[in-house]
Order: sequence, then C-alpha cells, then structure tokens
Amino acid sequence: MILCLLAGLLAGCQQAPLPTPDTPVSSEAQGAFGQTERAFVELSIGTNEQVLKLLENGGPAEMVAHRREELERLRAVLDVPYVNNHVGHDMPGMPTDAEIQLAATDPQARDQFVRAHLTESLKVLENARVDLKHPPTVEIVELMERHRTAELAAR
Amino acid sequence: MRKPLFHLATILALAAGVLSVPGAAQGAPVRVAEFLAECPISHRLPDDPIVLPNLPGASHSHDFFGNRSTNARTTQQSLEGSTGNCNPAADISSYWVPTLYRDNTAIAPTGVTFYYLGEGVNNPAAIQPMPYGLKVVAGNAKATGDGDSNARWSCLHAGHVNPSKNFVECPSGTMLETYLDFPQCWNGRDLDSSDHKSHLSYPVAGGCPSSHPVPVPKLRMVLRYPVNGTTSGLRLASGTGQTMHGDFFNVWPRAEMERRVRNCINVVIKCDHNGNHG
Repeated sequence: MILCLLAGLLAGCQQAPLPTPDTPVSSEAQGAFGQTERAFVELSIGTNEQVLKLLENGGPAEMVAHRREELERLRAVLDVPYVNNHVGHDMPGMPTDAEIQLAATDPQARDQFVRAHLTESLKVLENARVDLKHPPTVEIVELMERHRTAELAAR
Repeated sequence: MRKPLFHLATILALAAGVLSVPGAAQGAPVRVAEFLAECPISHRLPDDPIVLPNLPGASHSHDFFGNRSTNARTTQQSLEGSTGNCNPAADISSYWVPTLYRDNTAIAPTGVTFYYLGEGVNNPAAIQPMPYGLKVVAGNAKATGDGDSNARWSCLHAGHVNPSKNFVECPSGTMLETYLDFPQCWNGRDLDSSDHKSHLSYPVAGGCPSSHPVPVPKLRMVLRYPVNGTTSGLRLASGTGQTMHGDFFNVWPRAEMERRVRNCINVVIKCDHNGNHG
C-alpha cells in the first residue's frame, strides 16, 4: 500500500496508459508495391538523373537512351510524387555533383565514373532483386541489369 | 503542474529509504531529468533499414551503434534476437549516423552517448516511455545550408569556439563533437511514417501540439570524433556538416525504458547507466 502510494506520488501510477500503436511493422501483401519497392524506385530515379548529367556532351548515345527508358518506366511505376531523398549524398552507383563537374572537363575521369556507376549499380541491383516482390518493379530491375551488363561488356 | 522541489525531495528520500534502491550512489540527487546509454561504434555498412529497407549496399555509408546485427534487412524481431554494445547492456536499440570522412578516409567517433532527457517540455512528470519498435530519423540529410539544418558542431574542451551548423575548426588537443536532438512529441499512433519523421514533432512553447500529444523523452545524440584543426577535406557521407542526421530504432526492453522514465525523467533526477540515482 505504502509502495503503491509512493509510486503514485512519483507519477508512475498517474500516467494514462499508452495508446496501442496500430501501425503494423510490415503488412505489405506479397507482390504489392511496398516500402522496399518505393525506396528502390526513388533511389533509381535519383541515380539515373545524375548519370544523365554525367553523360551530357559526349556520353555513349546508347547508354543515354537506356537511362531515359529506365527513367520513364521507373516514374510510371511510382505510386507517390517523386521525392529525391538522396540529393547530395555519396550513394553507390550515383555520380556526385563534384564528379559530374570534374567529368565535364576530363574525359578520362568521366570514363572512370561511368565504370564505377556500372559496377556499383549492378551490385545494388543484384542485392535488390532478392527482396523486391512487385512483378513490374522486378521487370525494371531485370531490364536495368541487362542494360548495365551489356554496357560494361562493350567497354 | 510543477511539484514543489522540497516536497519531491522528501518523497524521494522516503522512497529511497523504503525501496532501498539497489546500486544508488550516496549524496544529493542532481536535478536533471536524464538517463543515458553509451554505445561505441559497432560496425559500418552502406545500409539503412529505415530509409532503404531490404536494399543491402544501396545506401550511403553509416556508422552503427548499439545493436550488433543491424543491416538493411533489420526488423524489430531481428534486433530482439541479437545483443548490443551499449552500457547498459539492456539497451539493444540501434542507432546510426552518416560516416564522417577526411579526404576519403573514414573517421569513427570515439565517444558516443545517447542521452534521454526530460528538458524541452514544461511538465516532465507527464513524459511517457518511447513506444517499443519506434523508428525515427532526426536532422536534415538534404540540408543545403544553415537555414534548413538543425545540426550542431562544436569542440570538446574548447568552449570558446562558437558552435556552428557546419564543421568547426577545433584547437589542437580538443575534439570535434556534434549534438543532435530528436523530436519528443509522438502522435500516439504510428511507429514510422513515410518520411520517417512526421509521426513525431518538436514541442511548441514547452508543450506537445495536439497533433502529437504524447511527450516522450528527448533523445540527444552526442558524438565525439578524434578530429581537430582545419575543416578542409571533412565531409559526411550525406554531404556537408549541415546534413548531419541520426536514425533510431527503439528496442529498449519495455520494463527497462519504463523504469528509467519513471525514476529519472518524471521526477527530474539524473540517473546513471543502470537507471539509478543517488
């Protein structure tokens, strides 16, 4: 009794019970466009936009066409307005603004950054394919893998 | 309503006498609502289970603290099944920040403290434990300048150097440190949100807004890096110092968090690592 009173005075017993969180940690149906798909698509749009800047003024025409085609399909599958969550970040496969600036005047540097984009991006795609369950998104991943594998082989 | 201090001190003395708090140090308690966890760096990965869930290797580099298992596929259940490196060991939560570099060499922080504080709201007695499983990101990873940043950089043992939202030049023999305060008002419903931020908010004029009515402890992350001298070449994996941000995935065992909120935060007492006080 004394303990309870003391505890009450110490505010422990005076608190209202916490509301029960009703947001499930993960409730995405198999095959749905879920959190992982959304994160992947937003990341890939950001990456491709940076790559197109890297390829301005002299990048291989086929690679430019590939990235544009991918962008179109990525934008079509996204179910929310696009937000660039990674602007300014040093992301795998995504050329930074500093790299793009350097590449604009140094073809050798550009060649190096394009290769880094391809190898790093392929690794990201290979990992992503394991967990992506939404068939249209998986198709885009497969397209992106085909493009990058061919582009790397042609170098 | 605030409790008169002398009244509270009497109650605490009584409580300490009756309950005989184990491990409590002797002496007058310090009137700061605080408990803490110190968690050195555990590992480094290009993963982010909150922002890029299930996408291993797709993130900018992060330094992880606390739970040893955190990676891109981390869930509440996976964290529960692992251990952490915090003092206290009971805290198996996961914390992570962007990696700091100088000239492309990664620099790990050598002092990492997570404070849980009652400051910021007028009525700490009403503060409730953070919800179990909470995920939250604080700071602006996309900050483009001081105006949209809430980062804070300063120097340990060099208080005369003004704090800044970007890196500061610390004198020889001192260390670069950064503080980041997490929001402390919860909407009472969601463990996460699409931007990983909007289910919590900062208090307004000492109170939680009606949209986020549940006050929880303010998490303050304090990192100290073995860095001083010029800021040239310093960058975070997310960009300038202004982009400093922190992620938190709460898996404090419920009873451990509840006890600390009750014994340290609600009654405005500074507790030690074990959640006890003198």
